[in-house]
Amino acid sequence: MKILGKITITICGLLLLFFTSDFPDWGDVNSPASTHLSPYFIEHTIEDTAVPNIVTSVLADYRGYDTMFETTVILTAGLACFLLLRIPRKDSIHRYYRHEPTGVTIRVEGDRYPKGSNVFTRIDSSWVPYDLIINFTCRLLIHFIQLFALYVVAHGHHSPGGGFQGGVLLGASVILFAISGNLRAAIKRFGEKTAAILSSTGVFIYAGAGALCLFIGEQFLNYSALGPLLGTDRIMARSHGILIVEIGVAMAVMAVMIWIYYNLSSAGKQDEGL
Amino acid sequence: MIILTSLVSGIMILAGLVFFLGGSIGMIRLPDFYSRLHSAGMLDTMGLMLTMGGMALYIIHDLTLNNVLSALKIILIVVFIFITSPTATHAIVDAGIRAGMKPWRKRGSEAGK
Repeated sequence: MKILGKITITICGLLLLFFTSDFPDWGDVNSPASTHLSPYFIEHTIEDTAVPNIVTSVLADYRGYDTMFETTVILTAGLACFLLLRIPRKDSIHRYYRHEPTGVTIRVEGDRYPKGSNVFTRIDSSWVPYDLIINFTCRLLIHFIQLFALYVVAHGHHSPGGGFQGGVLLGASVILFAISGNLRAAIKRFGEKTAAILSSTGVFIYAGAGALCLFIGEQFLNYSALGPLLGTDRIMARSHGILIVEIGVAMAVMAVMIWIYYNLSSAGKQDEGL
Repeated sequence: MIILTSLVSGIMILAGLVFFLGGSIGMIRLPDFYSRLHSAGMLDTMGLMLTMGGMALYIIHDLTLNNVLSALKIILIVVFIFITSPTATHAIVDAGIRAGMKPWRKRGSEAGK
């Protein structure tokens, strides 16, 4: 069986190597991509969409359909992690509680957890002492990371950036919070339900913007149709449409990143973890 | 004035490169995890501060608003790395000690083994 796999891989690799000779050279001016599509994008982006950043306009407007399904792929990844890893915490797991006045740590089994108690605090089984330096630095940085993420999302038209990058930054800020403190504190602020709702809302905003164009009477994802709704002309409406779509992408990416992190770091229990 | 700023920025960038060189040699040659981490942390903070400071100084020799903004952005990078890099080094050392990693000692010294 192993030999069969190796033979298949070798044959596939040889075929790929063999057919690369038919590809156009790197940066070949006579290749189909540089004779038809690229000049059109470079020359017409500003007059078509009023977006200075050609990459963003290609990503979210000329090939908006492709990007919509990329966002769906990300949502599917989050759902797959959830369905494969998540296990409800029902079978008898034990928890550790610390009695604050005496400093004694007790192990509680069954369901008799001291809920809402002032003297008992829950601690993880792989407990790490509170570290002032790490906590302070993370608290200091999280605001800046989130502010920069919003800038990246909103500025995707004019400079490198956009929904995917901004969403990853937003998600990373919450993951940083979870790493610096503990997982339960992060889940209390940004729960699993929030992650699920936000990730599907992001995809819904993208597909909804497309469907709205369809209802108004033009093609799917033809943002020009949104002009009267947004109070702008048809070209500026494309720019605004790209922004709407980018916000949807950012929401989906952020929520899915956090959701996957929760499931992976706690092995699906979401009870305690990194 | 231009000559002076160019000279100062050149000296700063060279001094930063000396730190980078020492840090990268240290990461290869030093005996254990902690001492290598020490040289890596050195490289990130001091080397980066000097080279980036030199570049910021070089940019603002021609005082326009754009150049000042670029210099400010470079300084912001330095500030954030100056905060985060020592924290990361601290956290990694902490994790190493908690995982039970013993610091290296010279063979034959009293505290060793």
